[in-house]
Amino acid sequence: MKVSVDLDKCVGAGQCVLTADDVFDQRDEDGLVKLLDPSPPGERLADVRLAAEMCPASAITVEE
Amino acid sequence: MSIDAERLQLPLPRPNVLELAPLYEVLRREAPIAPVTTPAGDPAWLVTRYDEVRQLLGDKRFGRSHPEPEKASRISTAAVQDGPTGDFETEEADHARMRRLLTPAFSAKRMRMLGENMEELVDGYLDALVARHETTGVVDLNRGLAFPLPVAMICRLLGVPEEDTELFASLSERMAGTAIGDEAQKAREEFFRYMIGLVENKRGALGEDVISDLVRAQSEDPSFDYAEMVRLCVGLLFAGHETTVNRIGLGVLFLLTERSRWEDLVADPEGRVDAVVEEVMRLGAPGDLGLLRYAKEDVEMAGVTIRAGDALVLSINAANRDAGVYSDAESFRPGRPERTHLGFGHGAHFCIGASLARTELRVVFAALAKRLPEMRLAKGVDELEVRATLTGGVTELPVTWRSM
Repeated sequence: MKVSVDLDKCVGAGQCVLTADDVFDQRDEDGLVKLLDPSPPGERLADVRLAAEMCPASAITVEE
Repeated sequence: MSIDAERLQLPLPRPNVLELAPLYEVLRREAPIAPVTTPAGDPAWLVTRYDEVRQLLGDKRFGRSHPEPEKASRISTAAVQDGPTGDFETEEADHARMRRLLTPAFSAKRMRMLGENMEELVDGYLDALVARHETTGVVDLNRGLAFPLPVAMICRLLGVPEEDTELFASLSERMAGTAIGDEAQKAREEFFRYMIGLVENKRGALGEDVISDLVRAQSEDPSFDYAEMVRLCVGLLFAGHETTVNRIGLGVLFLLTERSRWEDLVADPEGRVDAVVEEVMRLGAPGDLGLLRYAKEDVEMAGVTIRAGDALVLSINAANRDAGVYSDAESFRPGRPERTHLGFGHGAHFCIGASLARTELRVVFAALAKRLPEMRLAKGVDELEVRATLTGGVTELPVTWRSM
């Protein structure tokens, strides 16, 4: 799985951190998304997909 | 039931605080973007279907400002979400600056770190309620828990003295009032005066709190208007407690009006509370209106032509019960397969306090289920008075755990 984030779209909602905090975090300085793991293990797919779906700015892309 | 050709008058009367007007179902199906007359008597579009509400919330052709604010449709006589806000020319840049300033203070990680602190506070509130219950047999969860927790948390985060609670809570209530006419606007002015006093008091000794951060940022940035900063501070203090107080109340009502819902949570509070919180966010429907937007240009959507300057009321309540999106949409089913909702909005204006609210709701419902498993409502839902404010909610939440 390949995950990417678009900082220009991100609004810092933090939904992804609540859904998969091993993959996403928020930067201390501006609260925008910090990608911790761009290629998480396959068993994280459901949560990462949910994070992408919940993102209010559609800033997360997941490729399987 | 069918929809009259003439404009519907908002608000659509609802059977009780947990249910919506049945007409919403018809609107979603037949007229997802329908012409209506607002409670203030002005024309607007009411948007009820999930797809359109979500799309509109994420669409930059719609905003909160209006090029000619004095000509814009008014939504209600409350002094919150009643009409356009912000400067039409600079709205996007102003909003981006606001998000940049505030997002770190409300980040998911920081809110999670507050969780332990909240648990201690909630335990204290519950101790006091348990002691009172021993003599009275019935206690008001609204006054004893739903209100004090969000107030204490937002005061700490913003750096507002807790002893001002009575003042700003009463100003918030009046500012959101929908049945008091001009009084709402007067309360808003009073709230602004209170906030200016607070800001100027702080200026000499700025601390580690959000209002101090905003004062610092405003003094360093000539494009950051003073009035805009005060408006932000008022907005944060208002939204930081008013909405969560009501949401806790609605959640308790959903859980206690059907015993099996409560028993399910009691059986596994830690394991089930997150799903309960999301379902309370989806189904809980405070107020009868929705989020307000103005079109910046002409837009064709769902078979209607929205003109530049038109007002739109986006019914989050209706969108979150869309049968085209949710199976058994009107039922309270924590852990349902459809896990997203619009309870915190969507797009650029997504609720900045979502992680704070989620943490508060989680702590409250888990603690109630663990400590008061025998709890039940002491009055029927229909006997509870609903507040005449934009944010809705009940005036009291009487519960008991006395053996019957």
